[in-house]
Amino acid sequence: MSELSILQAVRFKGRCTAEAAAAVAGVSPSEASQRLEQLAGSALVSGAVNSAFRITAEGKQRVAELIAAEAAEVDGNALAAEYSSFDEYNSEFKAIITAWQMKDPETPNDHLDQEYDEQVVHRLGELHTRFAPLLNGIVALADRLKPYPGRFENALDRIVSGDHTFIARPLIDSYHTVWFELHEELIGLLGRTRAEEAAAGRAI
Amino acid sequence: MSVIWLGEHPFLERDVVGGKAYSLNLMMNAGLPVPPAFVLTTEVCGQFHAAGGTLPIGVSAELRHALSRLEERIGRGFGDPARPLLVSVRSGAARSMPGMMDTVLNLGINAEVERGIAELTGDADHAADTARRFREQYERVVGRAPSPEPWEQLLEAVGAVFGSWNSSRAISYRRHHGIADEAGTAVIVQAMVFGNLDDLSGTGVLFSRNPLTGDEAAYGEWLPRGQGEDVVSGRSDPLAVDTLARTQPRVHEELLAAARKLEQLAKDVQDIEFTVESGTLWLLQSRAAKRSPDAAVRLAVSLHESGLITRHEALWRITDDQVAALRRPRITPESRAEAVVLARGETACPGLATGVVVTDVDSACAQAESSVDVVLARPHTDPDDVAGMIAAKAVVTEVGGSTSHAAVVSRELGTPCVVGCGAGTLERLAGQRITVDAGTGEIFDGALPLAPVSEAGSPALATLAEWARDVVGDPEVGMPELFRRAREVGLHKQEEDAPAR
Repeated sequence: MSELSILQAVRFKGRCTAEAAAAVAGVSPSEASQRLEQLAGSALVSGAVNSAFRITAEGKQRVAELIAAEAAEVDGNALAAEYSSFDEYNSEFKAIITAWQMKDPETPNDHLDQEYDEQVVHRLGELHTRFAPLLNGIVALADRLKPYPGRFENALDRIVSGDHTFIARPLIDSYHTVWFELHEELIGLLGRTRAEEAAAGRAI
Repeated sequence: MSVIWLGEHPFLERDVVGGKAYSLNLMMNAGLPVPPAFVLTTEVCGQFHAAGGTLPIGVSAELRHALSRLEERIGRGFGDPARPLLVSVRSGAARSMPGMMDTVLNLGINAEVERGIAELTGDADHAADTARRFREQYERVVGRAPSPEPWEQLLEAVGAVFGSWNSSRAISYRRHHGIADEAGTAVIVQAMVFGNLDDLSGTGVLFSRNPLTGDEAAYGEWLPRGQGEDVVSGRSDPLAVDTLARTQPRVHEELLAAARKLEQLAKDVQDIEFTVESGTLWLLQSRAAKRSPDAAVRLAVSLHESGLITRHEALWRITDDQVAALRRPRITPESRAEAVVLARGETACPGLATGVVVTDVDSACAQAESSVDVVLARPHTDPDDVAGMIAAKAVVTEVGGSTSHAAVVSRELGTPCVVGCGAGTLERLAGQRITVDAGTGEIFDGALPLAPVSEAGSPALATLAEWARDVVGDPEVGMPELFRRAREVGLHKQEEDAPAR
């Protein structure tokens, strides 16, 4: 597990437990725990409070440097092409998640209409299938991202087995959380910012 | 009988003609001006499927006959470029279900008819736009491009609506909800009227009472020379419906009279779509108006005072959700009137909060830990902002819309959130104490006083609560419980009660 994998996990999670870091970095909780304890001795990560670690300002700086270094190794043109395909899925994904939360702009989804909810879950499952080849293409370009397909699978498994918190709940590895983090990784590896992306008219 | 004309029967069965045709028929029987329409009944749907997905010969003959009667009644010809008849084709299932084809508007357009409409209205762009919308809608519903022959278009559209009854989605919906497959859908064919014909034409929406404030006066929008979805789509800026009172007073008067009549028939506030064609009023649709919680209370009282509903019925007109919304703290009208708006954006998750604006996650978390109410303001949100969003009482962003990550996460958290307030917002707000009204998308200077609507502050609520206490017979019951119990008791007492007038 690379230094970047573990630091990125701590950065994304805000207050990061070993279990959460393990899922993001794709390692066992005990390995993640060991690495976190090591890092907690450095200036990059502050020590655990209630077994949760936090990244420091220096840690964020280090993440930025490591991502820049990784970006230099990645085939940028190929990744940019994958990203433009990702953007199309991104818009569709957001529409699905918004439909899950809101029936129309004024009506929050009260989740009393089972048929409606099933349809949204169906749309998400269908997108997942279509999105898989693109995701594999992305992972092939940036090896550090290889936990993502498994994380998406896991979220979808939980959703299909009836745990709908795995659609969009923050802090847990919900489908939306994983998507949000993947999007951030792509923007970072392409050396862009969300502000630039918004200015270019892409969904953020 | 395969074809039924609306307005020619005192009573029609919902099961046979569908809900939409049922209510159009009521409107016509009440003497209201509705464009002529006929229905292919739900029985035809069964025959269509029994014949392997085609209209039986007898039915298509009846359809052709009905169409020529429609041409006579409206004085136009189907496919005639000089005086074109266009029709709408709609499904009339007793309830709408996923997978069912819904509507094709402007059916009957081909290249010649499009040119005819352009000449008739003097607006070639609008004619082209109408033709384009028709082709797109037709392709979506029927699954292929429209034939240049209007009669073929009609047959195919009718077939597509009947066919969609047996789409796999509709079937699984019916399984799930225990609706019989034999029920079938009806198809309504209705003449379309032109709101874009001349300066005495237009289209609009009228509410029989104001659904935002609960005022008794009718309220609406009017778009001169507008057609179809122009008002709803927001394509053009409509005028207040009062404008019509100045330009066409007789039509305006007729419209208000129709609204009153529809309200009496339905015993509820109506949301009415209408079109005026060369000075003639046509009503296209009328349904119960959606309303704000405040308006719901005022309207329940005023509907009783107008003699339309009993007190018990008035108590049934407000839901637990609406009462809960009224009981939520809100900015008092007096303080809102004086408040300074610092920024405006789009609602992502409604709600109210006050706090000090913090622009980075670490200090948001730190201050929240020491019990300071903070509002997190960010240019946009990244995954690492989530911890700060959890700590904050409200979230504000500079860029991003209602589907952005910030919006999704705030809705999951139930945290009030306003997105897309514009560049420079952070700089202006940082460090200030503000009040966020995420329901309206407004950000106010200072911590405004918040209070729920009280009986003292709302005469309508006081009246309704008094009625409820009378019914319950216990002056001590508190607000949410009071209305629930009054409704239960009211169920058994309806007959002792009478409208005010």
